[in-house]
Amino acid sequence: MDSDCLSLLPAVCLVLADPQQSPPDDTSLEKLLDWFKELHIQSNGQVLLQHQPCLLEFISSVCTSKTTDPAIISFTLKLTGLLAATKQGFHLLEEGGLLLCAFEREACYVCDIWEDASVRSGWLQGLLNMLKHQNALDFIRGNGLIKVVLQLQNDRSLFVASLANQLLVHILNFLTSSNMTNGSDAVGSSVSSLRSDWVSVSSEIMNAVVEALRSEDHPRVLLGLRLLSLVLFQCGEPIRSTLWKDVLVPLEVLINRGSESLTQTLMTVLQAAVRTPLLGQSEYKVEELLEAMLGHGNRKECFQCAALVVKLEKCPEISKRKATGIILLPLQCVSTQPQTEVETNLVLNEQLSQKASCISLLMQSLSSLAELAHTKYLFDDISIHSITSSVVLLLRMCSGHCPSSLLHINASIHLIGCCKVQRCGLDTLGPYHKCKDILITCYMGDHVCSADLFPVLEKRMWDLRWDVRDSTLEFITQLTVTGFTEALHTSGMVSVLLSSLADTEGYVRASAVAAVGEAVTASFHQAALERNSNLLEKALTQMMIVLSQDTEGFPRRAVVKAFTSWLKGSHPVTALDSSLSSVLSLGGNDFDWEVKMHTLELAEVLMEKTLTCCPYMQNVDFSEKTCLTQTLSRLKDFGLFDLLFNSLFDCDRPVCEKACALLVRLRTLTAETADLDHSALVLNVCGNRWGDEVQRRYLKKQRAKASACATDGILDLNDMQRMLLLSSDHVVNSPQSLMEDILSAAQESEENIVDCY
Amino acid sequence: MPDIKVTPLGAGQDVGRSCILVSIGGKNIMLDCGMHMGYNDDRRFPDFSYVTQNSRLTEFLDCVIISHFHLDHCGALPYMSEMVGYDGPIYMTHPTKAICPILLEDFRKITVDKKGETNFFTSQMIKDCMKKVVPLNLHQTVQVDEELEIKAYYAGHVLGAAMFQIKVGSESVVYTGDYNMTPDRHLGAAWIDKCRPDLLISESTYATTIRDSKRCRERDFLKKVHETVERGGKVLIPVFALGRAQELCILLETFWERMNLKAPIYFSTGLTEKANHYYKLFITWTNQKIRKTFVQRNMFEFKHIKAFDRSYADNPGPMVVFATPGMLHAGQSLQIFKKWAGNEKNMLIMPGYCVQGTVGHKILNGQKKLEMEGRATLDVKLQVEYMSFSAHADAKGIMQLIRMAEPRNMLLVHGEAKKMEFLKDKIEQEFSISCYMPANGETTTIVTNPSVPVDISLNLLKREMALGGPLPDAKRPRTMHGTLIMKDNSLRLVSPEQALKELGLSEHQLRFTCRVQLHDPHSDTDTLGRIYTHLKSVLKSYSIQHVPDGTVIVESIVIKVTSSAEEPNLKVILLSWSYQDEELGSFLSTLLKNGLPS
Repeated sequence: MDSDCLSLLPAVCLVLADPQQSPPDDTSLEKLLDWFKELHIQSNGQVLLQHQPCLLEFISSVCTSKTTDPAIISFTLKLTGLLAATKQGFHLLEEGGLLLCAFEREACYVCDIWEDASVRSGWLQGLLNMLKHQNALDFIRGNGLIKVVLQLQNDRSLFVASLANQLLVHILNFLTSSNMTNGSDAVGSSVSSLRSDWVSVSSEIMNAVVEALRSEDHPRVLLGLRLLSLVLFQCGEPIRSTLWKDVLVPLEVLINRGSESLTQTLMTVLQAAVRTPLLGQSEYKVEELLEAMLGHGNRKECFQCAALVVKLEKCPEISKRKATGIILLPLQCVSTQPQTEVETNLVLNEQLSQKASCISLLMQSLSSLAELAHTKYLFDDISIHSITSSVVLLLRMCSGHCPSSLLHINASIHLIGCCKVQRCGLDTLGPYHKCKDILITCYMGDHVCSADLFPVLEKRMWDLRWDVRDSTLEFITQLTVTGFTEALHTSGMVSVLLSSLADTEGYVRASAVAAVGEAVTASFHQAALERNSNLLEKALTQMMIVLSQDTEGFPRRAVVKAFTSWLKGSHPVTALDSSLSSVLSLGGNDFDWEVKMHTLELAEVLMEKTLTCCPYMQNVDFSEKTCLTQTLSRLKDFGLFDLLFNSLFDCDRPVCEKACALLVRLRTLTAETADLDHSALVLNVCGNRWGDEVQRRYLKKQRAKASACATDGILDLNDMQRMLLLSSDHVVNSPQSLMEDILSAAQESEENIVDCY
Repeated sequence: MPDIKVTPLGAGQDVGRSCILVSIGGKNIMLDCGMHMGYNDDRRFPDFSYVTQNSRLTEFLDCVIISHFHLDHCGALPYMSEMVGYDGPIYMTHPTKAICPILLEDFRKITVDKKGETNFFTSQMIKDCMKKVVPLNLHQTVQVDEELEIKAYYAGHVLGAAMFQIKVGSESVVYTGDYNMTPDRHLGAAWIDKCRPDLLISESTYATTIRDSKRCRERDFLKKVHETVERGGKVLIPVFALGRAQELCILLETFWERMNLKAPIYFSTGLTEKANHYYKLFITWTNQKIRKTFVQRNMFEFKHIKAFDRSYADNPGPMVVFATPGMLHAGQSLQIFKKWAGNEKNMLIMPGYCVQGTVGHKILNGQKKLEMEGRATLDVKLQVEYMSFSAHADAKGIMQLIRMAEPRNMLLVHGEAKKMEFLKDKIEQEFSISCYMPANGETTTIVTNPSVPVDISLNLLKREMALGGPLPDAKRPRTMHGTLIMKDNSLRLVSPEQALKELGLSEHQLRFTCRVQLHDPHSDTDTLGRIYTHLKSVLKSYSIQHVPDGTVIVESIVIKVTSSAEEPNLKVILLSWSYQDEELGSFLSTLLKNGLPS
């Protein structure tokens, strides 16, 4: 494959380097780079450059041309970096003067093309690609490129600025990696252990960080902090602790200043610091800074900090405890009796009195609590009961309940009908409790009684909005799963479910099918089917209507899935048998390939069940083949073979693949059972779509009838399966096809006007 | 100064996926959330990590607005809301909410089919995402929160497409999405009122083109189909389930009716019915002609177009088949193509965009030999035509919209850099407004003038009018005096008297006093007389009174003279004035300090 591609490469290079040509489709260049990256990983740059001189010519012609498109220049810079990632490649490019030509500092500023963000980003990406060996670093240092990178850190393009940061961190990291003369990773080892000519590199970058943090210019401070956190996340010693020592003072100043707009970024820095060995060493003051960030719950940004602190994996217990306390404050303040401490918190009171801040504060509280419960970080001395009852009270306030003694009347007004808090509250309760009881408590107030629940649900089922109806059905399905079936039947909800099968919205019909399916399954489990035999009958009739007539895929998919889950159930229901063949035939002929896939899954379950249920399978005696023959003929009666062979020639690959796999399995089984009575299993080939295909493809001798096993033999299933697994990716992703596309696009003079899906 | 910031994550100097961040009056809004169909990894979605760094999208964004159902405008929505995590409100029009999930589902289905696809959303995710959508009507002002409001305007382009006005306080932005300024066969032209936004963000796909009319393209299309059918050939039109398909169906249906043609037209997908259902349901969104004829005949109930069965592909004789998917990369359209490709009598019409790597893309690029599965090659002998029917405003249309809305600034997106440059110059020249065209990832900042609306009392206005002068004119600001009352979040300008009355306050007069010592050998009365004469000579145009009780009065300024018995020559002159005459008062005190002329 690659040799084919390499033979196309010179032509592609010519097309790309031609300033008269407009650059190819915007994804093509990216995909071409992907291929080069792969090649680079597989072999190395040297081989490629030596055998493909066209690449050197290409780079040279792009770099010297003044009229090339920015997209091509950007591509070339990235490619050059990639090819220079090996020492050999680097030398080849350097000898030809191409590296300087592409990356040198003067080249960057003089040309207008530098104004284009994609060129700057290509330049950075190129250097990033290249920086895999010492020569590359020497090149960057020797040509004064660090300065350019530091400037680009301030770039007006977010993408360029972020890439510059990455490159700076990569440079620092590179300094300390195995290339370092003294490879100690102990905290506190000094930068002087670096190669002497590289010390200047690290100090140039680190000074830039310190200066940024000292700056009065807000965006600059942000940039400095971002770089600092990246360094802490990604770099090792001695860079990490050296930089930390340098930034400690300005960092303290920033934290104590308490600027709200910096909170998030400052926390990211601390988050990074906490994960390093800097934590726990008093001289680095990480704990102190965390404490300072949290304050005493009396600054606006404390709540945000606390929310971030509780997420920290490695965190001093004292900070976590304090943060948890702060997290609980808003919740306590809204939902419990006034407490002196809470009462005096003016900031909190002010925040809660305004709608927007009240809601966001409570949501932050709730989601942090959910987080704490998930990570099991909640301290023992905090009463889970009081948390859950607070949350439940909050939920009830959302539905309009107003407790008599409330500290925050405003807050309770803000909460009425607030879905955001409701949703967040329910998510919080999930891990704390068995969800369903709480759900009911919330919806029904004090009367925890499922009988009262259904009228509410029924009312919601008549809502004009499909999303409400759908969510209600999903909820009912959940209830059924968790054992409310009995109530479902006695309350008459089942008939509501059945009528929902004819809803105007496809999504709702699909959810109704799932709910009905679940209700039936649950009835099987309770062995209460006799009482509800009506239900199964009605459900079957209506579901068959949905499967045969529904105009949308979801409900039809849901029907087939319901049948699959019934069939999987431990209580085989004979009543299903009569519908199964219709389901297989309707599902197999559906427009939607996913319905077909689900049908094949149903067929798979049917096969498993039928074949393993054969009572004589274990005994290896004469009755075995009779039994298998009977089983196969039973499957044939269901229309299983028609389904499988039809699907084998489907226009959608996943369907063919699945059918092929199932046929192979059947064949294995029949092959193991010698002397199968073929005459008992005769399929009618004529008049079948698949039969025509079989005849056309393989039966040159006209034969009207073939046995299932014989057909297996006629079709080379193994070969088919191999083909299906190998190729048939409908969108051709091969580099060869990509290059052909680039070449043919270049020949096509007419521009196809941009259009959308 | 307040400002508006705009950062495109997509559609900045390109026609890929649209995703534009706007920050206005402290609110952050995402305009469109599109997908790039040309990639099969995460590169197809906008990189949302640039939006928030670390925090959740829900905390950062106040809302997301989707302009229309095309996937390059809404395709990343389920990824963003369900996989990255966004629980805030998403706004789109009713038709968009209805049609969006069909297209997302359609694309999901053709995507998961492909191998090597990673990180793609599921059906359930599409549904959950759509549950977060708040649908809205045209011209309905929706209050997102207390400060932020949005309003949708008709945009043409596709069914349900809308332009959005976003307003926080006195600042506003209009985002056009894709729009069309000329009505087409089933949709009307975009319209907006003279809302004078601080910024108009407009698409510029056809920034340099004055497009040949869509009618020409349609005639061309019908001619080609007709010719092929006449010579007994078959026409394959690969389409996606919804959108262009319906447009072409109407076209063929009416043509078949008019020409009394007999060749069958088939539609191969089960989704048509649903799609047509929506076109019927949202009839108010279509153009006048369709609405008018709706009573007699529903344009979307097709007489000539029938459902397709895959066995029909082998039938002899001419036929026209619409088949999915539109890029010929899988399924029925590809299967039919393989059957028909070898016959030069047949024709393939590609009405839409094809991703690199698809058979559709290859054929459009003129490849005549295609490698199919199993190394077999397929000779492409049938005729291939590309027909773009997409309805975007051309340069003329964009200028027309600017005239309609009268924005203070202009920002171009969804276009190619070179073409934008041309249009930008044209706009700046013709309208004398600044025009911006940020690249992806670049932020444009527009400084806005804070304008604070104030209600004025009728009495004050009448009084001002009574004083004469020109009538009030929005374009000629003039100064007015009054008392500003800030009460219950409202601002009112009233006359001072009315303010006093309303607020139950009594008026206080503020007077300044000042003593000036003067050596003057005359009697007090004479000194005052000398002051009177002196002022008379200096302040010629003022009325100066000498009152018999021993005071001189100039405007509100009162002047008295006293002296002590011990030093009769040292006169103390008392000056007192009200705050209105502050200037004159201090002038007089300085004047008297310099002494009287002898």
